[in-house]
Amino acid sequence: MSITSALSSALTGLSATSRQAEVLSSNVANATTPGYARREVQLGAAVLAGTGQGVAVIGVSRDVDQYLINERRLSQANDGERGLTAGFLGQVETAIGTPDIAGSLGARIAEFDQSLIEAASRPDAEARLALVASAARSLAGGLTQASDDIQQARVTADRQIASEVDTLNTSLKRIYQLNAELQSFTGAGYDVSALMDQRQQIIDSISAIVPLREVPRGMNQVALFTTGGVTLLDGPPASFSFSPTSTITPEMTIASGGLSGLEVNGRPVATGGATSPVLGGRLAGLFALRDDLAVAAQGKLDAMARDLVERFSAAGLDPTVAPGAPGLFTDQGAAFLPVNEVGLAGRIAMNAAADPAQGGALYRLRDGLGATTQGPPGNASLLGSLKLALTGQQPLSSGGFVAGSRSFASLAADILSDASARRLNADSDASFSAARLTALTDLEKQGGVDTDQELQMLLVIEKNYAANARVIQTVNDMIKTLIGLGS
Amino acid sequence: MSRMSVGDASLTSILQRQGAFLKGEVQRASTEVVTGRQSDLGAGVRGDFSPLAAIDASLARLAGYRSTTADVAFFSQSIQTVMGTMADISSEVATSLMRSASLTTPTQVNAAAAEARARLGTAMAAMNTQVSGRSLFSGVESDQTPLGSADDLLTALQTAVSGATTANDVEAAVRTWFTAPGGYDAFYQGGAAASPIPIAAGETADLSVTALDPAFRDTLAGLAMGALLDLGLMSGQQSTRADIAQRAGLMLHNSEDKRALLAARIGTVEAQIEGAKTRNSAEDSALKIARSEIASVDPYDASIRLKEVQGQLESLYLITSRVSRLSLAEYIR
Repeated sequence: MSITSALSSALTGLSATSRQAEVLSSNVANATTPGYARREVQLGAAVLAGTGQGVAVIGVSRDVDQYLINERRLSQANDGERGLTAGFLGQVETAIGTPDIAGSLGARIAEFDQSLIEAASRPDAEARLALVASAARSLAGGLTQASDDIQQARVTADRQIASEVDTLNTSLKRIYQLNAELQSFTGAGYDVSALMDQRQQIIDSISAIVPLREVPRGMNQVALFTTGGVTLLDGPPASFSFSPTSTITPEMTIASGGLSGLEVNGRPVATGGATSPVLGGRLAGLFALRDDLAVAAQGKLDAMARDLVERFSAAGLDPTVAPGAPGLFTDQGAAFLPVNEVGLAGRIAMNAAADPAQGGALYRLRDGLGATTQGPPGNASLLGSLKLALTGQQPLSSGGFVAGSRSFASLAADILSDASARRLNADSDASFSAARLTALTDLEKQGGVDTDQELQMLLVIEKNYAANARVIQTVNDMIKTLIGLGS
Repeated sequence: MSRMSVGDASLTSILQRQGAFLKGEVQRASTEVVTGRQSDLGAGVRGDFSPLAAIDASLARLAGYRSTTADVAFFSQSIQTVMGTMADISSEVATSLMRSASLTTPTQVNAAAAEARARLGTAMAAMNTQVSGRSLFSGVESDQTPLGSADDLLTALQTAVSGATTANDVEAAVRTWFTAPGGYDAFYQGGAAASPIPIAAGETADLSVTALDPAFRDTLAGLAMGALLDLGLMSGQQSTRADIAQRAGLMLHNSEDKRALLAARIGTVEAQIEGAKTRNSAEDSALKIARSEIASVDPYDASIRLKEVQGQLESLYLITSRVSRLSLAEYIR
């Protein structure tokens, strides 16, 4: 229409390209920033009174694939849980120990067996009796050690639950604040991309703890729900509470009231099972570890300890032991009662009467635990019976095993095999979920900033800028020409 | 919508992940090459440790049997040595006693009697032998010597034969003292026979021989009867003394059968021990081979894998350096 409108169109072109350059520089600068979503300037033709008047910047858009992000978050939760389970089952396997490692339960049993054979040929030799005593002590110690390791894992899990709950609460509050800020800035028409990036990062950080679903609300707001159906944030944030326990013994469970459960907004929720609202994340994994996996592993060790105690306190094995009195292995010095099976592995000890380390005398290994004076030094009959008690096939008193008679060593091997098979299973689950997470993360990163593409854009921007500037120069020349006409 | 771009971070993270994976593999393979053991035994046996645990338990037990068979072999060898000494002594003394009786000269009988007394001491000392602090013939009371001194035995025996008037009476009294309770039985200081000793899986060696064995009783009875003559039994009655010497010689001579029987029994046990030793060591090597098949890695396999992973890692380094130079920024200066 007029030369001045040409000039102003060219000016809008200049300002649009500068804005593009500005956004582009931010993209390049954040090419490897995690959680940064690529921005793009949205351009549109400016329309003034029905006719085109240059270019207008409509806004800055964030280039995110929300579907992919949701999938990745669920996968993160899944991976958190599986990784945790596999890690713990690996710990159980290590606590029992593979037989090639000195100090494993299998190696300790073999050592005890060997020392009994050697002592049976020289019952008069103090050195061989001392070997039997130290091997028996080491076997009891090995069980206690494994039991302690498992209880320690429970304490660690309990502490981790407390810290995860803490993170969850703080993050939800932070998201709530960001939601509020986003509402006011969006209303005022500012570029809120940075705030949205920040919010996305915080949601990512808690998505491993509980599997969550993000639901968009108007005005750039989000609501968060767990896949199990608890509202984490829809308006005000939910508040989780949990109280950690500093010392955990095998008898302590949620059911016994010894351990804390989880509360949401003051109401207790199930922490395990298919109905649990937090099912499927690190938090549920930690609860499962503390309340199921570790309890089951402890149960196996207790069954093993019970079998050991019962083998050596069988009636008629050692005639000097009164009925009901403890045998070679005791429950903290006392006779074992079947009601006390839980936690026995942590309390099992060698009978003090025959243990020089506890003030006992070695000859009682040969002459009987109840012997008051030394018997004939060449008498190997009790040592022979002890060896048979260890290696004999015997049915188990504890439940939870395939029926049948076993020697003590094969019971230990069965328990190790069970732990190892579980670990391998969990490992393959964990590597599957890790691979899925990796694939999703890769896909998400592919949608991130590509510097090559940005540079190509830069070339285009440069060219556009030059073209617009050229238009201005030409218009300037035209105006000059017009002014020159009058002179 | 098909993508027009691939984010920079994607390539970086893929390269990083692959690098970490390959480095882990290099570490695993190199550990296996160096130690010869599987880095993850649980995965190697697919979670079933029963065979491996059974092998390890058997190997430990075999190590135990190795020391018990050595003990038992040494013990039985010592018994055989004592048996040999006893045989030598008794045949020597039996000959002297029987020859002296036929010559009927007092000095000959006296000399044979003196020899019998001296050799009784030797025989009893041999039976009191201790091997690494253990008496051979005391049964479970292995810290006691089975017999007292020869003089004490002869004193007790003198009392037993004090009422005898004929050679026949003397022989009967000596036999009674050595066989009936209260005589030799009471003189024995050891205990009940020791229990058999395990030498292989489910197999025991029975070396439960004590000084109460008939082989020793008869031998000692013959020697002691001859020795009584040296202590002046029936002094002056030359023919009775000669008769007693004759009977003592015969008794010694007849004891040989029982000693041979005992030696044969010990010999059988020795053969059993040798057999057990051979079987144990064969089982030991067989189990070790089986164990290495389950738990060890093939060093050739492991080193090939190391080489392969090394190559892959080097290619990854090359790719990383090439790809990171592929940037538009390099070309548009």
